[in-house]
Formats: sequence, C-alpha cells, structure tokens
Amino acid sequence: MLSHVMRHEARSLAADRTLQAVALLFGAILVYALANGVAWLRVQETTLASAAADDLTRREALAAQIRALEDGTATPAGGDPRAPATLGGARGARLAALPPGPLGALAAGQGDLLPFYYQVSLASNDQSFVQNGEIENPLNLMVGRFDLAFVLIFVLPLLILVVSYNLISAEREQGTLALTLAQPVPLATVVGGKVALRALVVLGAAVALTLAGALIVETDRPGALVLWTVSVTLYALFWFALAVAVNALGRGSAWNATVLVGAWLALVVVVPALVNVAAHLIHPLPSRVEMITAQRDASNDAVNRRSELLARYYEDHPEMVQGLALDTANAAARSWAATEEVNRRLSEVASRYEARLAEQHRLIGRWRFLSPALLAQDALLDAAGTGDARFGRFRGQVMEFAEAWKAFFVPHVLAGTHLSSADLEAVPEFRFVEEPPGALARRVAAPLLVLTGLTLVVAGVGLRLLSRYPVLG
Amino acid sequence: MIGHIARKELAELVRDGRFRWAAAIVAGLLLVSAGAGWTRYRDVSAQHAAAAAATRAHWLGQGEKNPHSAAHYGIYAFKPRLPLSFLDQGVDEFAGTTVWLEAHRQNDFMMRPAQDATAAQRFGNATAAGVLQLLVPLLVVLLAFGAFAGEREQGTLRQTLALGVSRTQVAWGKALGIAGALALLLVPAALLGAAALLLGSAGAVAPTFGRGAVLVAVYLAYFGVFLAVSLAVSARASSSRLALLVLLGFWAVNGLIAPRVAVDLSKRLDPAPTAFEFARAIQAELSEPMDVARLEREVLDQYGVETLDALPVNFAGIRLQASEEHGDVVFDRHYGALWDAFGRQSRTHEAIGALSPLLAVRALSMGLAGTDVEQHRHFAAAAEAYRRSLVKAMNDDLAFSSVGVAAYAAGPELWESVPAFTYEAPRLASVLGSRTMSLIVLGLWVLGSLLVAAGAVRRAPVD
Repeated sequence: MLSHVMRHEARSLAADRTLQAVALLFGAILVYALANGVAWLRVQETTLASAAADDLTRREALAAQIRALEDGTATPAGGDPRAPATLGGARGARLAALPPGPLGALAAGQGDLLPFYYQVSLASNDQSFVQNGEIENPLNLMVGRFDLAFVLIFVLPLLILVVSYNLISAEREQGTLALTLAQPVPLATVVGGKVALRALVVLGAAVALTLAGALIVETDRPGALVLWTVSVTLYALFWFALAVAVNALGRGSAWNATVLVGAWLALVVVVPALVNVAAHLIHPLPSRVEMITAQRDASNDAVNRRSELLARYYEDHPEMVQGLALDTANAAARSWAATEEVNRRLSEVASRYEARLAEQHRLIGRWRFLSPALLAQDALLDAAGTGDARFGRFRGQVMEFAEAWKAFFVPHVLAGTHLSSADLEAVPEFRFVEEPPGALARRVAAPLLVLTGLTLVVAGVGLRLLSRYPVLG
Repeated sequence: MIGHIARKELAELVRDGRFRWAAAIVAGLLLVSAGAGWTRYRDVSAQHAAAAAATRAHWLGQGEKNPHSAAHYGIYAFKPRLPLSFLDQGVDEFAGTTVWLEAHRQNDFMMRPAQDATAAQRFGNATAAGVLQLLVPLLVVLLAFGAFAGEREQGTLRQTLALGVSRTQVAWGKALGIAGALALLLVPAALLGAAALLLGSAGAVAPTFGRGAVLVAVYLAYFGVFLAVSLAVSARASSSRLALLVLLGFWAVNGLIAPRVAVDLSKRLDPAPTAFEFARAIQAELSEPMDVARLEREVLDQYGVETLDALPVNFAGIRLQASEEHGDVVFDRHYGALWDAFGRQSRTHEAIGALSPLLAVRALSMGLAGTDVEQHRHFAAAAEAYRRSLVKAMNDDLAFSSVGVAAYAAGPELWESVPAFTYEAPRLASVLGSRTMSLIVLGLWVLGSLLVAAGAVRRAPVD
C-alpha cells in the first residue's frame, strides 16, 4: 500500500512545474556548493605543499651550511647555523601542519578562520598561537562560505518545508483527501508514503552530492562519510517530522507555511544568534589585548634582570641544565632566561584567558541543544574534520611540539654548545595525530542522539495528532 | 479615502494577535541585540582606551636606549569603535583589533575576536542590523502578502472598488496602514537608540547623528522596497498562498542565498594571495640587497666630504632610513594590492545587490557604523603612516644627534617628541563616496519596486 501511495505521489509531483523548477535550483545549488568546497580544498593543499617544500629547502640549506663548516670548506659568517639559538630559532623553524579534514571539501568550517599551519621555533610562545589563519577578506569570513554544509544546514530545511508544508492541507483544500481515505488506507500510511517519497528524493540528492564530493577528494575515512550521511539524514528527518506535525494540526496551507517558516527562522537563525550573544553576556571574555600589555611589561622587566632570571631558571629547571655551573653561563643562556620569563608571564595571562574562554565554550556546548541546526553543524563539521575539536587538537599538539622543541635545544643553549650534523637527525618532527574514530564517535553521539530524540518526539506528536485529523473539517 | 483605508488597515493589524506576537518578538530581539551591541561597544572601547594608554606609557617609559632599539620596540595601535557600531558590528569580529608598529616591517592586524569563538559564531551574532535586515522585511511580507490577494479571496476587493475607489488608492491606503503598524514598532526603537547615543557616547555627537540620520533613511528605503514588492506580488498573485510563497522565496534569496553566493563569487573573480604566498613575496623583495655604495656616494657628495668618518651626520641613521623607505615601497605595493583585491571583492558583493537589496543595505549600514572593510583599511593606513613617522623620527635622531658618540642612547625627551597616535574616522561624505554603488543599487530598487508596484496594482484582477 505504501509503495502504491508513493508511486501515485511521484506521478503527481513530477507533473508539478513549480516543483521541477525548485528541484533544478536545488541541484544547481548543491553542485555550486561542492565546486566551491573542492576549490577551497585545493587552495589548502597547494599552500601546505608550498610550505612543506619551503621547509625542506630551508632545512637542506642549513644542513649543507653545517656540513661545510664541519668540513672546513666554509668559515662561520653572520650567525653560526650550528648555534642552538640559530638552529632552533627562526632560521631553523619547523613547519607544523594540519592536513585537510577527511571531508574538508564538503564543509569549510573553521578552516578559513583558524590557522592550519604554524612555524615552530624557540621563539614560539602563547602569543604565537593566537596568530591569524589564512588571508581572507573579513567580509567573506563574516558571511561564511557557500559550501555543502551551508546548503544542508540552511537551505535543505527550507526545501523540505516547500515540498511538505501542504502535505495534507492541500489535499483537504482540494477535496481529494476524503476521496483517498474512502479507500481502505489509513491516513498515517498516506502521509508516510508522501514523506517517504519526498525524503528519498531530497536526501538522495544530498547524499549523492556528498558521495561525489568524497570521490573527488578521494577520502580514506569511510567512517567520516557514514557520520556525515547519518547526520544529514537525521537533520532532514527532523524537518519532515516537523512539517507532518504542523500539518496534523489541521489548519490551512498558508497557516502551515507561516508557522513552518517561523520555526525555521527561530531554530536556524534566531536561536544560534541569541546563543552567541548570550554566551558573550554571561561569560564576557577579558581582552586579548591584555596579553600585549603583559608581554611588554614582562619583557621590560626581564631585559634588566637577565642574570638573576637565569639563576632562578637553573633552580627551576634542573633537567635542562644537566649539572652545569652557573658561572659558565653565556650570553645566549642569559637571553634565553629572559625570554623564558616573558613566556612564563605570557602564559599566566593566556591561561587565565583560556579558562574564561573554556567556560564560554562549555556554555555554548550546552545550549547548542536548543537548535537542531547547531547540533547538525557540530556533527557535520566533526565528520568533515573542520570543526573546533580538530583545530583545538591540532593547536594542542603544536604546543606540545613546541615544548619538545625547547627540550631539545635549550640544554645546548644553556651549555653554550654547538650542534653537529649528526644532531640534525634527532631534531623533533611534527606529525598530526588524528583523533581515534572511537573517540570521535563518542563525542558526536550526544548531538546525534538528541537530534534523534527531537525527531522522534516531534514525529510522535505528529502521529498522535494525525489520528484525530479533521478530514472534512 | 486613502486615509480611511489606512486607518482600517492599521486598526485590523493592531488588533490581529499574530501581528502583536510577531511585533513583540521582533521588538524584543531588537532590544536584546541592540543592548548586547551597546555593552560590547562600551567594553571594547574601554579595553582599547586602556591598552592605548598602556602602550603609550610603555613607549614613554622605555628609559635610555638607542633610538633604533626604541623603533624595534615600537608601539601598538588599536582600532577604535564608533558609537553606531552598537547597531552593526560589521566585520569587526573577523578583522584584527590591533597592529604592532615596529621598525622595518608593516605587520598584519592580530587578534580577531572570532578566532576565540566556537563554530556557532558562524551563524552570526544577534545584532540590531541583523534584525533590521532580515526580520523586519519578513514582518513586512507577513503583513502585506494578503493586502490584495486576501481581499480578493474574501470578495471584499470587488466591494471596495465598487465604491469608486481606485486600485492605486487602495494600494496607498494599505501601504500607509502597514507602515503605520511598523512605525509603532520602529519609531520607539529609533528614539531609544538616539537617546542611548546622546547619553552614552563620548566626544562630539554631531558626526554620529549625521551618520545615524543617513542610516535611518537607508533602512526606511529598504523597508519601502519590501513593502512595494509585497504589494506588487499580492496584487498579481492568483491566491494569497502563492503570494506568500513567492515573497518568502524572494526573502530567502535576498537574505540567505545571495549574500553567500557573493562570497565565493567575489573570491573567484578577485582572488587574494594565500598568507604563505603573500609573506614569501614580501620577504623575497625585502631581501634584495640595497645599493649601499651608491647611498654612501650620494651622502658624501651631499656633504662634500671624502669619508664616512668626516660626515657631520651618523651614516648608520641615514642608511636605516633609506632601507626603511625601500621596505615601504614593497609594503605599499603588496598591502595595496591585497586591500585593492578586498575592495574589488566588496564591490562584487555590492553589485550582487542588484539581486538582493540586503547587500546594498548591509554595505551602507556597515559603512555608516564604521565597521566595514574599507574603514578597516582607512585605520590600517593611518596606523602605517604613524609607524613610518615614528621610525623616521628615531632614524633622524640617530643620524643627526649621535655623531661621534660611541654608545649613543636617547632619553625620554625623544620618546615624548613623538606625538601619541590619534585616529580620526573618515567623514560621512567620504564613507558615502566609497559606497556609491550601494547607493545607486538601493536607489534603483526603490525606483524599480515603486514602478513595478504601480504597474501591478493598476492591473490587479478584481477576482
């Protein structure tokens, strides 16, 4: 019976000129969005490739200089590249890069705002980690990209509402509903058939484009693809359920359209915007600008107290000193002690700031349950690998890498020893470690479960109302 | 007659529970977002004022040191906010707030507040501008979609016309009635905003009120366009349902689709370099060696001496300033090209305003609030000019005051001789001058929608 309803529905929908136009427009939008996403992915790949090539060239040049100095075919001129402050400093800086997410072409996410590569050296400190990301017109950042995630989060619900705002009301207004129900078929089956057909078409298009995107970028993470598809399906089903529930109230088509658009506006536009504002009002952040003031205060103090700071540094960090006596300290060591003091003061300010920031983010994390759009965005960006979690993980790993970098070079700085070409092999390397799929699944489980729950509740209410639907009312 | 219809329409709307609800929600959102915007404006202004005072104190209190070390130490500039930014925060969250002004380098703006937000931020903050650009037009659509189509369905249009009232009179009456209903919501809001500005903004209020008056006119024109389009669609649509759907479609294209289409299109038409390419290109040109020998000859000739030691000036200072000017040319070219690319991208957004009046209105609104990319550039240019004057003051001191001194160190007098950085926002005329395209586009929308509405209304079917 269900397939019967669907077949009949397919024939009548196919004859609708307006729907044809809408479907065509939606298809075009999907393709445009995917093309934009792929173009952005290529930009990132090219950038990372050039940065990696540049990194390699610099390293090889430094290695060649060091070998030439060791062979005696060259004499030190300018900064000796064997000096740890040079090799570990800006000249020897190492690239730490985040590869594009498994489905980065489908959702730009935070990738156009947050840095996806850093240069790590002894000069890295907390201020280095608030650097800008890719160059981008702030206007474009503000508006956001036209990618598949945008189409799925914002436009897909509208499309669903357009094809189902009059799911039942139109049949009643035309008088065909009573005729249909004169057949031995329950209203729920008729509605089920109508929804199933629409869901097949709408979701089919969305999933097809997702798969096309995955094929184009040759993703090696099928799990991400599954997560993405499940999220899109749940989100779409929520909107179908809402349309059925509103229809089941038994009002006219125009009323349904108004209420559904209102719901879309509230859940997709207004609630997220209010959550953002509320988070700022409830947990206002101290100014980032304070970091600058703190850094300057600290460096003014530190410059004048280098020797004293070095003595204290020796006491605090016996592991770096390795039994060295204070009176052998060189200029680079004293300078390092001053730098480290500035870093310490900076990281005090930074960690105060980060703690406040974490409170704000926790609040947003709790309040995202108010809007299916926020939940869907969360899940989609996590699947694409362009969400806050992956960027946060990357930043954390780069910070750890910066510590490893210091642990390697600072003992040499303090001892005043030079490095040799043999040491070059042991210089730490950065490699981003992806979140294990299990951990990702656990994190995304909460939003997806809530989305499922919301859908079930709305669908349940809709079904209950349907049983009392005023067919002739 | 028009007055009668307007009064009847207004009375109907005001009694309608749906209008009351919708208006209450819009008013509440407007109030909340403007309030949040005001808090943000006040906090950011206080933070920046404190930081600007601190950076100046650091500069003055740096003790005795070589002027070139002082130039390296430099100073930070913080972009101030205009009072009207409380209505429209524009790109402020996505553009950096501060820039380090130091010797040798023009730096990028750092610390974009949006980088500290979660991805939820990408849905946008609730701002008064957002409410005015997205929600009020929707309210207009909901108030106006049935103006003709609904009366036609009820058969009351035929009755009204039978009284000898012309269709145009009906349309004007409806328009005035709906405008009156909106005024009940918007006039108190505007008065509240003006009062807040009068009481709360520091400094002269005249420029703010100048910008504010234009802002009000822009939004009125925008609402007028929506009203005219809604009446036109309602006059011609075969049913009120169809009128609603068409108008909602227009609303979605205007507020949702067109702005995002503009983003990716503008990037394709005028790509900006990646950060990596940009930095590498600048570095490559900066590291081209300067012709020091020629500079030496020029300076020796100028002073008519044979050796650098015989110069009555310190050649180190001259050389530093020459290399600074060499760098300035490089920075001007690259940053100039980057800002120009951004400017052309903005122009693409404005041009797509032909499909979506929101884009024209948004550009004007941000411009008047002082939060658009162009005024960010204006501030960046002022900061860079200050950087150059500061570095030159240091180099000149080194060149002319340190002759023959072994370890030269300047003192507080020199630091104080550099005036504090002050910034003056562009004047209203220059803001509007940079937004002529949006003014034209909005003007065309007003004209076009009025003509279309007039035509549609004249040919409106009776039933």
